[in-house]
Amino acid sequence: MGIISLEHSDRLYWLGRYTERFFTTIKALGRQFDKMIGTSHGYTDYLDCFGLPDIYTDNRSFFRSMLFDKNNANSANYSLERAYDNGIVLREEISTDSLSFLQMAMDTIAKAEQEHNGNVRLALLPLEDIIYSFWGSINEHIYDDEIRNIIYIGKTVERLDMYIRMKYPFERVEKEFIRLLKNLNRVPKGTPYRYNTKYLSDLVEILGTQEDYRRDSEKAVDSLGHLFDTEEVFV
Amino acid sequence: MKRVNFFYSTKLTFDDYVHNHSFALRIIPPETDTQHILSCNLNIAPHTPTQQTVDAFGNNVTAGYIRDDHRFLDFEIKGSAQVDSTKHRTDYMPCYLYQSQYTKPGCELKTFYENIKLKCTGTVSEKAEYICNMISETIEYKKGFTDTTTTAEQAFVLKKGVCQDFSHILISLLRMDGISARYIAGLAFCDGETHSWVEYWTGERWEGIDPANNCPVNDDYIVISQGRDFRDCAIDRGVMFGKYTKQLQLVRSELN
Amino acid sequence: MIGVINMTQQVQFTKAVGNASEINELLRRYGVKFGIYKNGVFKEQFFPFDPIPRVITAEDFGSMEKGLAQRVNALNEFLYDIYHEKKIVRDGIIPEDFIYISKGYLAECEGVTPKNKVYSHISGIDLVQAKNGEWYILEDNLRIPSGASYPLIARDLTRIAAPQAFEENSVVDNRGYAELLKETMENVNCGGARAILTPGRYNAAYFEHSYLAELTGSVLVQNDELFVEDNILYHHTYSGGKSRIGVLYRRIADEYLDPLTFLPESLIGIPNLMEAYRSGNVGIINAPGNGVADDKGIYYFVPKMIKYYLDEEPILKNAPTYLPFYEEDMKYVMANLDKLVIKDVAEAGGYGVVFGNDLTKEKLEDFRKTIIAEPRRFIAQEVIDFLDLPIVEGDKTVMRKADLRAFVLSGAETKVWASGLTRFSRNPDSFVVNSSQGGGFKDTWVLSR
Repeated sequence: MGIISLEHSDRLYWLGRYTERFFTTIKALGRQFDKMIGTSHGYTDYLDCFGLPDIYTDNRSFFRSMLFDKNNANSANYSLERAYDNGIVLREEISTDSLSFLQMAMDTIAKAEQEHNGNVRLALLPLEDIIYSFWGSINEHIYDDEIRNIIYIGKTVERLDMYIRMKYPFERVEKEFIRLLKNLNRVPKGTPYRYNTKYLSDLVEILGTQEDYRRDSEKAVDSLGHLFDTEEVFV
Repeated sequence: MKRVNFFYSTKLTFDDYVHNHSFALRIIPPETDTQHILSCNLNIAPHTPTQQTVDAFGNNVTAGYIRDDHRFLDFEIKGSAQVDSTKHRTDYMPCYLYQSQYTKPGCELKTFYENIKLKCTGTVSEKAEYICNMISETIEYKKGFTDTTTTAEQAFVLKKGVCQDFSHILISLLRMDGISARYIAGLAFCDGETHSWVEYWTGERWEGIDPANNCPVNDDYIVISQGRDFRDCAIDRGVMFGKYTKQLQLVRSELN
Repeated sequence: MIGVINMTQQVQFTKAVGNASEINELLRRYGVKFGIYKNGVFKEQFFPFDPIPRVITAEDFGSMEKGLAQRVNALNEFLYDIYHEKKIVRDGIIPEDFIYISKGYLAECEGVTPKNKVYSHISGIDLVQAKNGEWYILEDNLRIPSGASYPLIARDLTRIAAPQAFEENSVVDNRGYAELLKETMENVNCGGARAILTPGRYNAAYFEHSYLAELTGSVLVQNDELFVEDNILYHHTYSGGKSRIGVLYRRIADEYLDPLTFLPESLIGIPNLMEAYRSGNVGIINAPGNGVADDKGIYYFVPKMIKYYLDEEPILKNAPTYLPFYEEDMKYVMANLDKLVIKDVAEAGGYGVVFGNDLTKEKLEDFRKTIIAEPRRFIAQEVIDFLDLPIVEGDKTVMRKADLRAFVLSGAETKVWASGLTRFSRNPDSFVVNSSQGGGFKDTWVLSR
């Protein structure tokens, strides 16, 4: 198609971010669940990563809230809903097929929530397949490289943000950062997903060495958040 | 027959920058049987390309779009015309017989019509003059009580209004009586702003009548636009984006 | 009886499509939804699908097709006439009042000629089949008829879930709708991209807007992405440029289309769109002002229009209708008020419809007075004995009221889509088939032989 509005480009970016946030959250919660077996309040390190207070009565209430609670802005379900909200207005760009995977994910997580006594983790397993299929479908259906690149920028920015917050090893973060740089290099001049050079050079500096990464991870998260700040404000 | 010079200007000022501003002006007087436009210049600032079309009612529409930030929009026309009110226009449309948004009568206007109906007899012109007299006796010309959104019924309830309200009330009553009538926006000698009056259909041609002054229309009137009511004749309509909260409009007109 | 599918055949179709649950599962997955507002909160609901198709025989469809094309051609002629010479009024076929008191008549459209003189590009004609097999036209929808996307996607999914049904029965493939729509849009394209204008995702028919945009390769837009400059419609692109739109399939009502021509308070319109349209720089689907032709009062005159403009006998019948405006009809209405259904011309969407036999004696007398006082305001119709259709409810099959919305597309030629949206009422006593009232839909099969 080749033409796309500012509004839709923004939606694509956030579709990428929320889908990735959902996916990373699901995977992280899976690992957390494993760590929590045999502990009580074994989730505080997870909350610390995001600067969240412990308001949960037990492991189970933490786990269910982080997975299912749509009013919890850090929950997987919340991210999925936001991803769907952005996707629903992009049907003609991403295709009905791609959208159907988000719907399947919503149906799957809704079903898992009903499994009060069953094995929730088992019920969540298909989600990984579904999200991989979603990305495959996106890759297939978005023909225009420039448009496809926007959603991947969103995806990579989000992944980096989550990885840094969750203190992933430097090697993993560095890899994702290089991926982001590659995506950014493909952005033509004069488009909204042109990065802000000041914040990009900050990131380049912080993510240059393991020591800097350890010391300045908070600043890295901050710079990432400002990466697409533009001077111009659209009404 | 008379040669007149006309001038009209509007200055719109916003208290903050606006952008993506679309506007449609109905400001260039049409060439008709009663007025021959000798010259007419339209100036718009900030300078912007415009397009001319003619709308369903025969009005000249000037459309434009200003994308960049601006804090004002000024436009003015200046020109001269040969006016001959002994001639008549014949551009009829059936919709002029039916009540429109501003003229739809309510209880008060309907009752008023019921009361004057019996004495409203004779030719179409006699009826129109009679109704116009009745309005003059009932409504007081007074500024500040009505605005551009006031309907015929609302003004009639207030018993006060300006030329726009007089026109709407007259149109409403004429239409109730089965006479087609239309709203005219234009310039007249009596006013420092724009004026409005009414044309009614005799069955063959349009006749002008000025209800605010309760007199027939003569060579001292220049038509800018016509329509079912004020809504079809608004001189400027616009949509813009921005954080502005207020707009200030200064209007000046001259006819000599 | 021609055109009525007998019970044995119906059982065969029902068996062929098998279980509803798989298809509904697929529809869920593909997000076939419509939005509704309940207590002011927006909710998306899945549109219940009944797998048993409505089946129309090839023979029946043949005459229906001719009748629908004829009707839409006459309506297009009528619209051109009304906004130009008004011959049909001058010749006394339709009283002037019926045109100008109609809310759908827009004086602002006088003298505007849409490209190729097409006004109603997409017409949704509602029909019902009586027990004797005869089809009656209930209503013409010439503004923004919705619903084509539902049988379209349902067919696609039914073919996945129950392929055998299409091996056993020769059904005309309805999936050419997208191509048909694209042709129709291209026929009035004034140079530029195709766009579908939606009021946004919180509109009841949002699924349809986005699905049709995807299938026709059109840009799905909202008003704030569009602007008119030099009387040309443009789309703001994300890189800060603009690209021209040549045809706009708008899914918002006339009154909201252009705040500088119609309702000034419209926030979903495009300023100066009418100027671009008047200048012939953009095609608008359907043309603004079409409401005058699908008005309840005008409906009565459609068979007369067919004779007047086409010099042909109407192939499809109107439900028998009376206009109290005419003395003779008034007499009949007064004598049979308790048997008729009375519709208020000014109301829409199921409002202002009164069944005479539902009224108490007192109410009936009151209503009689209202009609006598304002004869122009009402039309009266005979109550048609609908043919019920089977629907699956649990493991039973029950019979319910249903109508059919046929889609007629006017491009270079007038074509009738060999399918349609069959809506049914889930409530056994109800005639109301609206999706917002909890009704469901069926696919409509046209047999190829």
